[in-house]
Amino acid sequence: MSYTLRGRLETRLAAALAPFLVAAALSPILHVWWPLELVGVMLAIGLALDVALYHRLLPYQPGWAALPLGLLELGLTMAAARALELNAPLWPAVALFAGSWLVLQVLAHAGLPLLRLTWPEDGGELGRTGRVISATAPAALLVIVGTAWAVEPPTVRLAAGVHQGPLVLDHAQTVIGRPGTVIRGGILITADDVTVRDLTVRGGEYGIEVDGAESVELEDVVVEGAELDGINVRRGQVEIRDCMIRSLPAAFTQGIDISFGFDLKPSLVERCTVVGGLEGIVTHFAKVMIRDNHVSNTELRAITMTEMSMGSIEDNEVDGALGVGIFCGDFSHCEIEDNAVSDVEPDHESGDRTRLGVAIQAHYGAEAELQGNEILRSPGGVAAYVDATIDHE
Amino acid sequence: MTARVAIVGSGLGGFVAYATLRHSGLEPAEIAVLGVDPDPAGAWRPRAEAIRQKLMRSESNGHCWPTSFPGFAAREAARRRDLAPLLLSVCDRYRPTVDAFLHHVDELRARSRWDESFRHARVERVLAAGDGFELDGHGSFRHVLLAPGHPGLARPPALEHDPRAVHAYEPHEYAARVTVVGAGMAAATEWLNALDAGAEVVSVRRREPARRALNVARPLFTKRGLGPFHATDRGARAALLRRFGEPSYPPGRTWDAPLAAAAREGRFRIEPELNGMDQVICATGFRRGFEHDRLLARLVAEHGLETEEGWIVLADDSTVPALTDRKRTLSLAGAPAQWAYPAADTLVGMKYAARRFARRVTMCPTR
Repeated sequence: MSYTLRGRLETRLAAALAPFLVAAALSPILHVWWPLELVGVMLAIGLALDVALYHRLLPYQPGWAALPLGLLELGLTMAAARALELNAPLWPAVALFAGSWLVLQVLAHAGLPLLRLTWPEDGGELGRTGRVISATAPAALLVIVGTAWAVEPPTVRLAAGVHQGPLVLDHAQTVIGRPGTVIRGGILITADDVTVRDLTVRGGEYGIEVDGAESVELEDVVVEGAELDGINVRRGQVEIRDCMIRSLPAAFTQGIDISFGFDLKPSLVERCTVVGGLEGIVTHFAKVMIRDNHVSNTELRAITMTEMSMGSIEDNEVDGALGVGIFCGDFSHCEIEDNAVSDVEPDHESGDRTRLGVAIQAHYGAEAELQGNEILRSPGGVAAYVDATIDHE
Repeated sequence: MTARVAIVGSGLGGFVAYATLRHSGLEPAEIAVLGVDPDPAGAWRPRAEAIRQKLMRSESNGHCWPTSFPGFAAREAARRRDLAPLLLSVCDRYRPTVDAFLHHVDELRARSRWDESFRHARVERVLAAGDGFELDGHGSFRHVLLAPGHPGLARPPALEHDPRAVHAYEPHEYAARVTVVGAGMAAATEWLNALDAGAEVVSVRRREPARRALNVARPLFTKRGLGPFHATDRGARAALLRRFGEPSYPPGRTWDAPLAAAAREGRFRIEPELNGMDQVICATGFRRGFEHDRLLARLVAEHGLETEEGWIVLADDSTVPALTDRKRTLSLAGAPAQWAYPAADTLVGMKYAARRFARRVTMCPTR
């Protein structure tokens, strides 16, 4: 195809309509603005390349060129998204870009030639429709993306070094640290739509406390030396990824505690490492997915789902727990799958016969469904007590 | 229903225009096709057979369907459940076979109800009259598209009466020693044909042929190249058209390897002049210029149309400016329309004229 410059621009703008509408629909559903902003950046880069590069270098553009040009635009778009701090997660962003690219290809090779007979020989120009699109689309895009930019939660970047806490986050925002950023005295989150990323929290009663807040994301955080819980969530909804909880000093300290949010959207704990403490990850009356974590050297239980909680415990690695490895208790419903539990030691000192090195335990009316778990060197094996049931699938 | 739209010429140019008009919503009864052969490929088929053509020079979009998509590649991919045709197409390496092309013409002929509109008539005069055109006693029409095809085969004057000479587009076999005059697509095809038949081949040419995939450079198929082309003055445009008409054939090993092998064996060589070979094949294409076509020559003479070096001066949309207004249209398609579209004698070029003609017809308030 030999595009005219106008044809390139009009075709690109027309093809951007579908991804723009998808992004406009996604943003309010996901409570994030990055899809809209990403489509805006993608379009701006595409239009700039059309004007500055493609039109000059490609008097004829063979079909196969769409692939390398698409990869070039993908690279530039991702770099721009990073530079502009759009907070777009990598793979969803790539997927959105790929979908938009596909729409452009389908439109250019099939849709537009069918909709407008003279589109191929007009060099991609869309006639009167194209002029309307050209006149209105950039303005509409600027208004919507500008609005998104203006109203999205601000991003606060913390420098490396020690910042005296406690840090209170009482409105939507993104707090991002750098290597060496330390908050001393804990973080308290009381507002929805808060993201905390890439920092270390040292000390405090709770390392990070989430109180009544939803859509909270904690990513790549390290919590050290919290007095009660490493991360404590009450009446909240969180997604915790890639965290490290360690150096828990007191006998009653817990790694991650998510409680009393059963009526909220499920929370997630993923790819975290918890070392020591009374319980590693514990839920009370909450819906939680606990997966791909490593919990070790706990004093009471490694992973606990109790008090009418509901959720899944999948692909976790538990070792060196005292008494009980994974616990599903008090009328909770637990799907326990593909976990590796090893070296759970009997707790003779407690005098409790339910704590004699049980790898997976259901207790007091709880219902546990087990599948694909691997248990090593745990003398109590799998056990159910007090009207609890275990189904092996 | 009385036909208000006429297509003069029942070859591929007329057929493409007909399919486009049908796609635009016209019924067969609204269109009159005036020609001498009801088979749209009637003139093209024997020429392809004569040069033993197996593959089209055109690519996936070289077809008669009114929409560019789906072309041959997409249809073949869907039929065979195989992505290979599409991959070849995006790499500009897909060529439909002649058989597939002819089958598609037959199929579209039936589906478009072409035969319902066909009238056996030889039109030699088009006369502007009132808000339309009188077609040589075959009726009056507001909108007329002329697709008369090429005005006959071109032969070098020195070979007009030479008994050894045959035109490439006429049926022929190959002698033991063959001279091929010309250097375009037909000539290149004939070099390989004659070599395949075991002949010794001499290529006589005035200039080295250009090597390009299609008849003209790709940007000239779209507004990208047409814009500057349309912006040239008449003298410059005629010079460009002369240059575009110089011989060319596609690049690639398919052509080069057999010629190189034959040259090493002493069976293929290039010479500037005719020699004493047994057979002379004139791969010299077609006559050029409206004056060789009786209908067009008369049209120009009777209406005082503007011309330039054998081309009728057309508007950018392939209409004749002096005879086209809000209520009537006279368009040219095929080779005579090169003033508007340099590749007018290709299938894509025929669609260029057809689509603009169809737009004028459907938008005309008095259609």
